[in-house]
Amino acid sequence: MNAGRFVATTKAQLQMTFRRRVTLFWSLFFPIILMGALGLLFGGQLNAGKVAVVPVDAAGPRAVVHVLDDTKGVTVKRAESASEAIHQVRTGSRDAAVVFVPAPGGGYVARLYTSNTSADQAGIIRGIVLGATDGVAVAATGRPPAVRFEARSVDSSSLTYVDFLVPGVIALAIMNTAVIGLATIMVDWRQRGILRRLKLTPIPLAEFFAARVTASLTLALMQVVVLLIFGRLVFDVSLDSTAWAAIPVALAGCLCFLAMGFAIGSFVSTPETGDAVSQVFTLPMMFLAGTFLPVAAMPAFVQAVARVLPLYYLANGLRDATVRGLSITHVIPDIAVLLLVTAILSVVALRSFRWEPSI
Amino acid sequence: MDAAISVAGLTKRYGGRTVVDGVTFEVRQGESFGILGPNGAGKTTTLEMIEGLRQPDGGEITLLGEPVWPDPRRIQARIGVQLQSTSLFDMLTARELLELFARFYLRPDAVERARLTLELVGLESKADDYAKRLSGGQQQRLAIALALVHDPDIVFLDEPTTGLDPQARRNLWEVIRSINADQGKTVVLTTHYLEEAEQLCQRVAIMDESRIVALDTPAGLIATLDADARVSYTDGSGDHTVYVRDAQATVLEVLERARAGGEPITNLAVKGADLEDVFMQLTGREYRE
Repeated sequence: MNAGRFVATTKAQLQMTFRRRVTLFWSLFFPIILMGALGLLFGGQLNAGKVAVVPVDAAGPRAVVHVLDDTKGVTVKRAESASEAIHQVRTGSRDAAVVFVPAPGGGYVARLYTSNTSADQAGIIRGIVLGATDGVAVAATGRPPAVRFEARSVDSSSLTYVDFLVPGVIALAIMNTAVIGLATIMVDWRQRGILRRLKLTPIPLAEFFAARVTASLTLALMQVVVLLIFGRLVFDVSLDSTAWAAIPVALAGCLCFLAMGFAIGSFVSTPETGDAVSQVFTLPMMFLAGTFLPVAAMPAFVQAVARVLPLYYLANGLRDATVRGLSITHVIPDIAVLLLVTAILSVVALRSFRWEPSI
Repeated sequence: MDAAISVAGLTKRYGGRTVVDGVTFEVRQGESFGILGPNGAGKTTTLEMIEGLRQPDGGEITLLGEPVWPDPRRIQARIGVQLQSTSLFDMLTARELLELFARFYLRPDAVERARLTLELVGLESKADDYAKRLSGGQQQRLAIALALVHDPDIVFLDEPTTGLDPQARRNLWEVIRSINADQGKTVVLTTHYLEEAEQLCQRVAIMDESRIVALDTPAGLIATLDADARVSYTDGSGDHTVYVRDAQATVLEVLERARAGGEPITNLAVKGADLEDVFMQLTGREYRE
């Protein structure tokens, strides 16, 4: 390893990366388009799950239940009693419960019970119920709110759909850029004889690829910053002060998917197959790992699958840091999983690495 | 002084097939040496074993007094290689590529080396063009510049002019001549163009079916024919080719015989003997480029 040579090689790798317009399109502009499209289509209208409601025969609560019934975002199910409703949430047959309790100064308090096993949905449901109670309050002009809102939850966040979506799309963008980028370029370098040409020069392979990885991490960092700023400005994503913790998560995620790209690039023999095999691995993750929809909203077996997908940990870590206001210590498990997968995939990749093109 | 290159009994097998079979030769320092032969003769495999890219199954290779195998990396810093059909990183300019390669060799004067080698191969005007935008001939020049950027002692060129049009080929010959004559570098090139070997190489090894079948100066090889000219013609009994010292006497004799026998002669041709004839004499086959 030579510092000067490493810097020069990294600079060349950055030039190669940023001069390729197609890379910039897929890594930055496509995620923006995706966020825009999904945000506009589903913003606030995501069906977050089933809400158990214990009806109360009073004007305020009746109005709130009526509004909730009309909301596309949730499915309202009646429950007999508060204890039954809470039990349903605890056992997972309902995602949240709304219980009206008489307020000391008159009117009612709508208590929202959620479970932290479905934190993503909880955030969305909270937003919807809050909206419903606000609407009823405004309708009763000039009076104290007929129903005040009060959340009872372990989870203090108030996620909207775009809050949920933006970190998911960032995770997706990092994954696609890293996997497809490295897999195709590696095959290209090998098949066109660039790797064996490099072998004739004194730069060690490890140093050459370390420079490539550094360039890719720089791009990932740019993706996080640009896409978060875009989300903030255009969709008013509620960024928390802990958002900086997204950076180590993003870098760990990028490393993990670079290792995946490296492994794919070592196995396949043409850039086209590299692209296709990359899709085989990335496409299912895109839909199963909670990038567009909360994993908790999916069937149990899909949830089990999601938990073995690295993208799940990247999206989850990014979400925790940026919009759930969780500190760096909270995302360390996500980072640890990503780095573990990086290590495993790197071993696979190095074992199958080839300098020579296959004929 | 040590030989620049010394190769003895070099052998390579793939599966059951021997692609290089007991190749032995030496190249002197400052010499320009050619390996000539048809496609598939084993030229590239021979070169790649000397460059340290393919491990031989048998034989010894010494470059500048040091054995290449088992650890080729040490000696590789002192050789420059242009591989057959190398492509380069697309999104870097010719100048950036040369500076990057000079840095690979830890040259502190990378910028200067890039400028010098661009000048040497005549690519100054294309310095800031992306490699992929260069023409075939220009890309070959760039590949040669990359082989020279760290100022190596020996330069290996694997079919440097294959696929180029005649004009580009002649231009590249000038570059190669200057590397050997002006820069004083030992040059080893493979080619399947007879004319190229005659033009560029002080000595030529003719390779056919995995072996070296002859090795000498172009003039020395032609002298082995013991003939100055090749006379060929077609008569009623078929095609004839004869190598002769006295072309005039032969032609007169052929024409005389034709007149006497009343049999017409067609395709009568006389040409000075060259490496093609040497190849034909050695292998009994027509040389096809």
